[in-house]
Amino acid sequence: MNAIARDVQAAAQPPSPELISEVQQFYYREARLKDRQDYRAWLALLTPDVHYWMPARVQRYRRDERAPSVLHSAYYNDHLEHLEKRIARLETGTCWTEDPATRTAHLVHNVEVEHTDDPDQYRVHSISVVYRNINEDEEHTLHCLREDLLRRVDGQLRIARRLLTAQQNIFMNKSLNVFP
Amino acid sequence: MRPHEQAQPPQDYFRYVNVDAGWVDRRIFWDEAIYERELEAIFARCWQFVAHDSQIPNAGDFVTTYLGEDGVIVSRHTDGKVYVYLNACPHRGNKICFADEGNARRFTCNYHGWAFSTAGELTGLPSEREAYDAGDIDKAAWGPRRARVETYKGMIFATFDPDAPGLEEYLGDYRWYLDAFLDNDEGGIEFLPGTIKSYANANWKFGVENFIGDAYHAWWTHDSGGRAMMGGPFPAYDPKDTYHASVNGHGWEFALEGFGDIAILGSQEVIDYYAALKPKIAARLGELRARLFGSLASAAMFPNMTFLPGIHTFRMWLPRGPRKLELRVWTVVPKNAPQSVKQAINIGCNMTFNPAGTLEMDDGENWEGNTRTNRGWVSRHEKLHYGCGKSRQIEHPELPGIVHEGQFNDANQRLFYQRWADLMNAKSWSDVPQRYAPRYAGRPTR
Repeated sequence: MNAIARDVQAAAQPPSPELISEVQQFYYREARLKDRQDYRAWLALLTPDVHYWMPARVQRYRRDERAPSVLHSAYYNDHLEHLEKRIARLETGTCWTEDPATRTAHLVHNVEVEHTDDPDQYRVHSISVVYRNINEDEEHTLHCLREDLLRRVDGQLRIARRLLTAQQNIFMNKSLNVFP
Repeated sequence: MRPHEQAQPPQDYFRYVNVDAGWVDRRIFWDEAIYERELEAIFARCWQFVAHDSQIPNAGDFVTTYLGEDGVIVSRHTDGKVYVYLNACPHRGNKICFADEGNARRFTCNYHGWAFSTAGELTGLPSEREAYDAGDIDKAAWGPRRARVETYKGMIFATFDPDAPGLEEYLGDYRWYLDAFLDNDEGGIEFLPGTIKSYANANWKFGVENFIGDAYHAWWTHDSGGRAMMGGPFPAYDPKDTYHASVNGHGWEFALEGFGDIAILGSQEVIDYYAALKPKIAARLGELRARLFGSLASAAMFPNMTFLPGIHTFRMWLPRGPRKLELRVWTVVPKNAPQSVKQAINIGCNMTFNPAGTLEMDDGENWEGNTRTNRGWVSRHEKLHYGCGKSRQIEHPELPGIVHEGQFNDANQRLFYQRWADLMNAKSWSDVPQRYAPRYAGRPTR
């Protein structure tokens, strides 16, 4: 179905409460860094080989449904260098549309942790909800199904892959200046 | 009266657009009655892009899109031809296709199960013998209304107006410019899979005019995105060897430095690919068009198709009322490029020009801001200034169209609104003035 599912096999053992709690705390910290717009600290939560991917949603009949490829149009189809360019834009001082700043609340729900064949990697399903308030009074809420590959590097969790499936067929807003 | 003829247009639309003085009335971006006239006089009349051959290569392949607010199915039938017809059942009007794209043998209305072929013919009615008597319905006469379909180098266009000129005449000398994008290498272009669709609370014309001739905004609006993608600011604007060209309301503004747009993709691999290709483009299209392609440029075909020739984004601005649009975005790549180049173009294109793009996020705010201020009654009755570069029209030995010097110019926008008013005023196509004598009429442009 997707890259992460192909690469990892769920192991039989259930995740411990400690692991679930660690993953949740990791996600809450990630959400806080994004809400505070501490994006350099956020980038440090990603592995150097990260793939951050949010392909276009295409509404097809059930018999025609197919998985997107990396040649598919995408909101994000980024490696670390690309994400760094996005952050660099915000740091130029000439990003007029981020001044005054966007206000966000990143929420993470339905966190489900699975072991993989690699003891240092976990597959994690979750739902990302981003509330955004911009300009005078504009509100936007985006819900994405999220499938992550988390990797333990020097004892710390890092995001190695993130596949985001937006649950909007037509994206309902002019811009997506958040990282779900 | 023909379907697209009116006894009199409701008013003279040149009271909203003054090309010579260089202003546009803000009501054309807000007023409901003007918008309703646009659906009739522009979107029910003009040729509009509906799909590229590469999106529907096989029999039964289809996409759904819109001509104005009229939903249509674009499908390749078993005879290999592409048919475009209303996505509406002639029985009670329900949609007959609910998917964005796919492959189908037939389309069936969800309401009573009326079935239609991929050529847009009514082929079956459930319980036909029990429900209908002889003479109740002539199935051949009750298919959904079909549009005219013509293609140019793989691009499929449609119009519902039986009196519209042929596509070649409609494009006119704009074909000379289109070839630099569609036909710069053997094999032409292909559309990568996936359509990014988004809404913006903006009038559709602001999106089109932004692409038809607004290089001026890039240095200011896109300073942050340009620095992020290229590692530094846009090079200082040099008016030398930069132009606006307009034909029948279609426009292309461009420099001739050769790599400005390609550099914004932020990929050395793509720059190297085109550096190697440029001599072949020159041999195919001439030196001038080889320099034109990939330079800092933007382009639009009247009424609502736009693209960035070197950044490879291709988009349609579908009207959704005077204050809302649906933007559809695709990445276009050279068909014969290696997969790694296609992927690098796709990443660069997605990074810059879609709702998450480092350049387009700043545009979207502007388009909405341009529209929303017209909520104020006083604001709405003000004019907007479009006078930049009025005196800079030239004759160029090679460049066809109405050509102005200077990439910072409102010329293509003024001529877009001139075409807009010409069509809004016209009772039929025969009333639309010819404002340019084509150099390439009846002749290929490559």
